Amino acid sequence: MRKILLAFGLFTLSFAQLTAMEKTQRGPAPVDRSLELSRKFDDRMRAYRPFGQTALLPDISFILDFSLVGRNKKDEEFEHLVIPRLWHRHHDGHGHGMLNEKRGFNLNYGELFLYAPVDPYFDLHATIPFSEHGGQIEEAYAVTRGLPGGLQLKLGKFRSSFGRLNAQHPHAWDFATQPLPNKVFLGDDGLVEKGLQLNLLAPAPFYLLFGLEVLQGENDQSFGYKGFTIRSTTGTTFSLEDRNAPSLYTGFVKTSFDLGNFSLLTGLSYAQGRHRHAHSDHGLDAKSRLYGLDLTARYQIDSVRYIAFQGEYMFRDQEGTRYGFDQQGRVTTRAVERRQSGFYAQLVGRLHKQWRAGLQYNLINKNDVKVDGRSVSTPDNLPAYYAMLEYSPTEFSRIRLQVGENRAFHEPLGGGRFERKPVKEVILQFNFAIGAHGAHPF
Amino acid sequence: MLRAFAILLLSLGFSLAQLKVVATYPWIGEMVREIGRDKVAVHVIAKPTEDFHFVVPRPTHVAKLRGADLLVINGASIEIGFLPPLIQQSNNPKIQPGKPGFLDLSQFVSIIEKPERVSREMGDVHPEGNPHFVYDPHNIPVLARALGDRMCQLRPSDCPFYRSNLEDFLKRWETKLKEWDEGFLRLKGLKVIQWHKTYNYLFLRYGVEVLGTLEPLPGIPPTARHLDTLVKEASGKGVRFVILESFRAGQTRPAQTVAERVGAKVVALPSDVGSEGVKNLFELYDLMLKRLSQ
Repeated sequence: MRKILLAFGLFTLSFAQLTAMEKTQRGPAPVDRSLELSRKFDDRMRAYRPFGQTALLPDISFILDFSLVGRNKKDEEFEHLVIPRLWHRHHDGHGHGMLNEKRGFNLNYGELFLYAPVDPYFDLHATIPFSEHGGQIEEAYAVTRGLPGGLQLKLGKFRSSFGRLNAQHPHAWDFATQPLPNKVFLGDDGLVEKGLQLNLLAPAPFYLLFGLEVLQGENDQSFGYKGFTIRSTTGTTFSLEDRNAPSLYTGFVKTSFDLGNFSLLTGLSYAQGRHRHAHSDHGLDAKSRLYGLDLTARYQIDSVRYIAFQGEYMFRDQEGTRYGFDQQGRVTTRAVERRQSGFYAQLVGRLHKQWRAGLQYNLINKNDVKVDGRSVSTPDNLPAYYAMLEYSPTEFSRIRLQVGENRAFHEPLGGGRFERKPVKEVILQFNFAIGAHGAHPF
Repeated sequence: MLRAFAILLLSLGFSLAQLKVVATYPWIGEMVREIGRDKVAVHVIAKPTEDFHFVVPRPTHVAKLRGADLLVINGASIEIGFLPPLIQQSNNPKIQPGKPGFLDLSQFVSIIEKPERVSREMGDVHPEGNPHFVYDPHNIPVLARALGDRMCQLRPSDCPFYRSNLEDFLKRWETKLKEWDEGFLRLKGLKVIQWHKTYNYLFLRYGVEVLGTLEPLPGIPPTARHLDTLVKEASGKGVRFVILESFRAGQTRPAQTVAERVGAKVVALPSDVGSEGVKNLFELYDLMLKRLSQ
């Protein structure tokens, strides 16, 4: 930079001299001056760019997530497994999608991050994950830098602040897989929506944050505003239009306290919207409400070592109509009520600067589904447990070994019956970060 | 009724009168207290027991930053791992970088060991150079003046008070500085090994020779192979001390190993005010001198 400035100075100086000489019209023409100038351009000024803006480049970073997976189910078999009345595979290829999907090697994502202040009033963050087949904008949002009264406004597409884990990028997670409640209620990509968030940091002596979000509602698991068309085997169809959007509203409150080396962060979240979702010959239109409770407690043993507990509970309440067809292809409607909940709880310890270990327990403990007021038999004891050991040579590289079993997966047998298919997994995950990547919050 | 209202106004006035300052490290907090005394309310982010590079970004600090009039940082990238998200979450326009409520102390001293080229293959190198300039006691008066100026700018009504406290502090400092110069200069030629390039400003000023670091590269913990090489290079050269910062008290083993093999002694130096029983900035250098003079 200094070199460029110097070169620029030299250039303007000689230019000024040149024009001054021309003005005075005295003395011999500066024959050798052009030579001198061109020589300077040749060597020192090769990089001279009067309008170069390299100093204004945003922080750019790239994160690679790569894994080697061993699983007791063949890929074709694994692909058809579902979590009864809660989750099934979507083949849309958006976002991160499912991580560690195939046996053997997986390129989970290569994620590009950009960050810079836009001007004195806004910061801009962008997250662009690439799969092997292409990229998309997962997040691109502006955040205000200077609203008064402890207010902050976020605009664009972003990960919702619902709960604890959802707002974090997968590379900041403590485990290679997503916890069950997040997976089934918010989806494999999480609750990532277009919209705006207003948050207020209360003028309290402790941390107290209130937030509201108005979001489009494009979540496959709980909040979809898009209409659908279903088609019976006899060829009749039924359609519902798109709901008015934005259709999803969330609210959250988070608070935190310190007691010596012990820190506690806890939050309550609420999301309300409509859910329209369909598969070939049946569809659902429901009012959807999601409640979340999260708790993080961290005890710092010394400047390196710590033990942290993190847990999240989610409860989903849906009421609506299920559209289908009878044998003759006539539209049928049934009242559907779904009350489902689950949690995860994990303990992670860093006992050496480069080593961390952790355990995670997940459970879907409630899976009540009523059709026309009658309960439908549904598996409701759906656990998954994992253990991980992590070695990080530096903050920029990480090798994680995770073993575990997911007992939530079932094979659909048709006629509303399911057979449990426990999935045992060993995942060796590699994560590398280059460039200027911002620090993560607590 | 009127009296109650007057008292309320007065107490409100008093709390408003206090300049609210957040400092990233205890030594910065100490300087603010020396200058502002009872007219400042100081919150310090890092604990003296924490590694200054790896401070936990607890949400509690966000709450303190929200109401702050001034944020004073060490700078030179030392806070890069925890401060940016805290500032972003603070929802406080006054302390954003570039605003008068944001003061970066590294701007006022000359930074040593600025690398020509930076790459992460070199470990955790700060592009701005070595950020641990607090360990040169001659830097303190410069920094205190810069801090006093900024406090004056933010609260002109209290400026004369700040100035007189500052002058008082500087006078006491000059006296001690003579004592320290004398003491530390006696250590000229002393040979040491340290964990990280933490105390280079001190050693550079007073001619203490550093024969190596336990870390193979900045930020990377000691490895057996590196320690072997280090021992080979340093053996027979008269290394007196293997130095580590007080916050590494739980990880003295590599230091012990090297010390035994080169015939040196392990010495913990206080890393900040509050560590090793150090109560203020004066005691910080007193204890460093004492520990190195044994």
